[in-house]
Amino acid sequence: MSVNMNEFLGRTKSLLRKRRMNREMAEELEFHQSLLRQRLMREGLSQSQANAAARRTFGSTARWHERLRELWQFRTLENLFRDITFSIRLLKKSPGFTVIALLTLALGVGANTAVFSLVNSLLLRPLSIPHGDELAVIGMDRGNPDLIYSFPIPFFRALESKHDIFREAFAFFSEGMQVRGQSANEDIPGALVSGNYFDALQTPPILGRYLTPADDRPGGSPAGLAAVISEGFWQSWFNRSPNVIGSRLTIANTAFTVVGVMPKRFIGADPLHRPSIFVPLSSEPIIDAPQDMTQSGIHSWWLTVMARRQPGVSLEQVNAALTPISMPIIRETMNDPPQAALLEQAHFHFVAEPGARGFAYIRAFFRKPLVALFCMCGGIFLLACLNLASLLMARGAARERELATRLAMGATRRRLIQQLLIESLLLAVAGTAIGLAIAPLVSQSLATMLLSGGSADAVSPDTSLDLRVLTFAAISALLSTAIIGLIPAIHATSGSLNEHIKDGQQAAGPRRRNRLQPIMLASEVALALILVVGAGLLATSLFRLFTSGAGFNPKGVVNIALSMEKQPLDGDALMRLYQQFGEGLSHQPGVTSVSFARIIPLTHFIWDEDHSRSGGAAHDLYLNAVGPSYFQTMSIPIYQGREFRWNDTVSSGRKIIINQAAANLLFPNQNPLGQHLLQGEKKKDFEIVAVVGDAKYDNLRTIAPAAAYIPITQFEDKKPSFYAVIKTTGPIAPLAATARALTTRLAPDIPAPALTTMESIVENSISTERVMAMLSVFFAGCALLVTGIGLYGTLAYNTSRRTSEIGIRMALGAKRSGVVALVFRSNAVIAACGLAAGLAAALAASRALSSFLYETSPRDPWIIISAALSLAIIAGIASLFPAIRAARIEPIAAIRCE
Amino acid sequence: MFREENTEPGDLIQGTLEMLVLKALARGPLHGYAVAEWIHQTSQQLLKVEEGALYPALHRLELRGLLSATWGASENNRRAKFYQLTAEGKKRLNAESSRWARLSAAVAFVMQAT
Repeated sequence: MSVNMNEFLGRTKSLLRKRRMNREMAEELEFHQSLLRQRLMREGLSQSQANAAARRTFGSTARWHERLRELWQFRTLENLFRDITFSIRLLKKSPGFTVIALLTLALGVGANTAVFSLVNSLLLRPLSIPHGDELAVIGMDRGNPDLIYSFPIPFFRALESKHDIFREAFAFFSEGMQVRGQSANEDIPGALVSGNYFDALQTPPILGRYLTPADDRPGGSPAGLAAVISEGFWQSWFNRSPNVIGSRLTIANTAFTVVGVMPKRFIGADPLHRPSIFVPLSSEPIIDAPQDMTQSGIHSWWLTVMARRQPGVSLEQVNAALTPISMPIIRETMNDPPQAALLEQAHFHFVAEPGARGFAYIRAFFRKPLVALFCMCGGIFLLACLNLASLLMARGAARERELATRLAMGATRRRLIQQLLIESLLLAVAGTAIGLAIAPLVSQSLATMLLSGGSADAVSPDTSLDLRVLTFAAISALLSTAIIGLIPAIHATSGSLNEHIKDGQQAAGPRRRNRLQPIMLASEVALALILVVGAGLLATSLFRLFTSGAGFNPKGVVNIALSMEKQPLDGDALMRLYQQFGEGLSHQPGVTSVSFARIIPLTHFIWDEDHSRSGGAAHDLYLNAVGPSYFQTMSIPIYQGREFRWNDTVSSGRKIIINQAAANLLFPNQNPLGQHLLQGEKKKDFEIVAVVGDAKYDNLRTIAPAAAYIPITQFEDKKPSFYAVIKTTGPIAPLAATARALTTRLAPDIPAPALTTMESIVENSISTERVMAMLSVFFAGCALLVTGIGLYGTLAYNTSRRTSEIGIRMALGAKRSGVVALVFRSNAVIAACGLAAGLAAALAASRALSSFLYETSPRDPWIIISAALSLAIIAGIASLFPAIRAARIEPIAAIRCE
Repeated sequence: MFREENTEPGDLIQGTLEMLVLKALARGPLHGYAVAEWIHQTSQQLLKVEEGALYPALHRLELRGLLSATWGASENNRRAKFYQLTAEGKKRLNAESSRWARLSAAVAFVMQAT
């Protein structure tokens, strides 16, 4: 045991100190020889005789060294080194192949790893908190397939007190908070968290303490309202001052005391948000003022609820305990027996799901696009590997004679496969390394492109490389090695020696049929067809989405967000402020009209109410509050009636504008102008003053819903925030400065107004589709190219090996056209088989895409036919060149070759 | 892991040579030449250790940790590689000695039989 250990260590040492070892061996030998010479001379030999005798005793110096060195070396390891240097030499000899192979692999691995690290950060990575596996996400099952994860406060408070079921139940909500900065309020990402939040997440603060249930009471603990800040915020606002504990932070115009600082690695229970400030849930009325979701209780469903299980209690046990308490909680908190009865009928119950990965609402939206993207990447990677494998196979065939000779000289098949595998391993490892280097960059930009439109607030997935991503990259490297190395290697070393050695440029004898190559090429064609069909579908869908129109013209429209909740003005005074603000902007060069809106279309916000004619059925209409000349600003046509005016106040009678869809719904075959509508539970009476064109509301994908607009002057919030909506033909940048100057003058307290263009909103709202279409078209292009190269390369190679055969055929009277057909036919069969297989697979797989498609059938015959056609054309071109070249063969020259 | 050493006629068989080398070093560190000399002298000039076998044996024993090597000054003040028994080597020497004693006695019994 210890002897073996010693040998191992000794060999390792010799490996590292090779030069020193050699020197010492030489020195030892020289020493011995000199003593020997001295003795011989003492015994009476002359100097030259002694030298000769000493040399005789020792033989060749080189052989002496060789024998000693053999003792010290790892044979397998040294062989490995020899193989590696040999492989590097071979790869260097064909730089074109090496570069193509490396690039293909780097792209394949890079793209795959990038998408995987996105998948990882969004869907797989667990929260970095102790014992995360004890966490559970709580949802509500109302008998629908989709669970609900947004809770009203009363449900949560009832669950929070069930200490027999959970160790801690906690709730949180990520939102921006207005924090008093040097001159004005600033918007800082924050989170409302319930009292047990930090207890349950078990991460100690680096300074001070975290929030406890004692803080989560109306008005805070006896010491006042407490807030915990993040390390990053501590850095940027307090310059890491140790005196931060106890200092004041004015959030939403209210003083909070900083009681603790959380370490950088702690990001809370939502992996996609990075809150800088944590405040108790009980302070929600302050943070959200003038809204109050605590007050509206059972009517506001907004909180995310999670829980930590008691150690050793399984999820099943928790679920079993949750079901019987669900309905009692509903009855107790809802105080609405008919509604509760409905829920009971639907077998309403609370559900606990695994929560180690935290909860991010956005996951639900991106799971499918990401998985689809991942599949596309996997497909192109497989294609790249197959292609490299067939190229390597052709190379292997070129080396058939060399390999056969080595086999004949006694090399084992294993040894040859090892050398061939090392060659592909080298390629794979180098390719993976390059791919890994570019992966974080790619995934970051992918994340920005994919996620920007998904949600109104910014999300920041952590796409850095972690163990899981690296393992994935390693596995893809190994897999690619296996595909591109093992298949050709086994193939190249199989078959009888004799045939290989005889085999060369000869025309004679039955050709050794290569059965693997056509199969690989056909599967390449099939894979490429699937990718091209997918890309065609996605691109067509995107085109239809773009051309379907939004119902408004986003060109030159700019939105400026104004947050008025925390400034002193309200009512008519606030309306006057808006009016002044609008007038200030309208004098800017290029500005053609200015208006205001509560909701910017396509930003996923929905406000809806039931509307009915008196005595008629209620219809759900999507609502928005808009200012004067909104429809002019947005270029929405007014079919009848007029825009709102600043003097359309509540006292002048409630006014409403409906769109054509709402008119068709509520007033079929009638003139709605001047008619009245009753809105909501309170049946507020509105007079219709105009009918306008339909416009997309929350997203571009669904058709424009029946909608209605009320004037902002009749909007019932106390301090409503609106977006200024501006149509301009001039530059946009000066508008930001003007808006800033105007708010400083008119409303110095509000945060700096944020400016977005309507065009970017439209683009972002379909960014997922756009990115997927873009990437799939790119992948499809790559697939076509790779397949073309593969078909061309192998056919060209195979044909060149048949030069003499073709020469003989022609000498015997074969026509040139016949030769073209002969060569072309072999690829045509492969391509046809591949197309047939790909078509079947594409038809089966396209259904998975249907949920991404807009007004496009996943089996659109035109798309599928043109995809197949484009592949057929590529295959045809790739096959035609070698065929034509074959036809140019001069029979005499070809036969002379032998 | 090991290649069978080529044994030429007249060479000592490998195991025996290693035992002799260990024995030579039992009295203290020596360099390769001195090991060969000691064996030659002590065997009454009957055993001649070939250099081609001696050094591989020394290196093999060093590699297995039975010997340790240090560079020091020789009697004529030249740098030389001195070999020394390790604890492991001493143990092996004892084991080999008793094995040899048993073996040679056994061979003697057989050869003296009449």
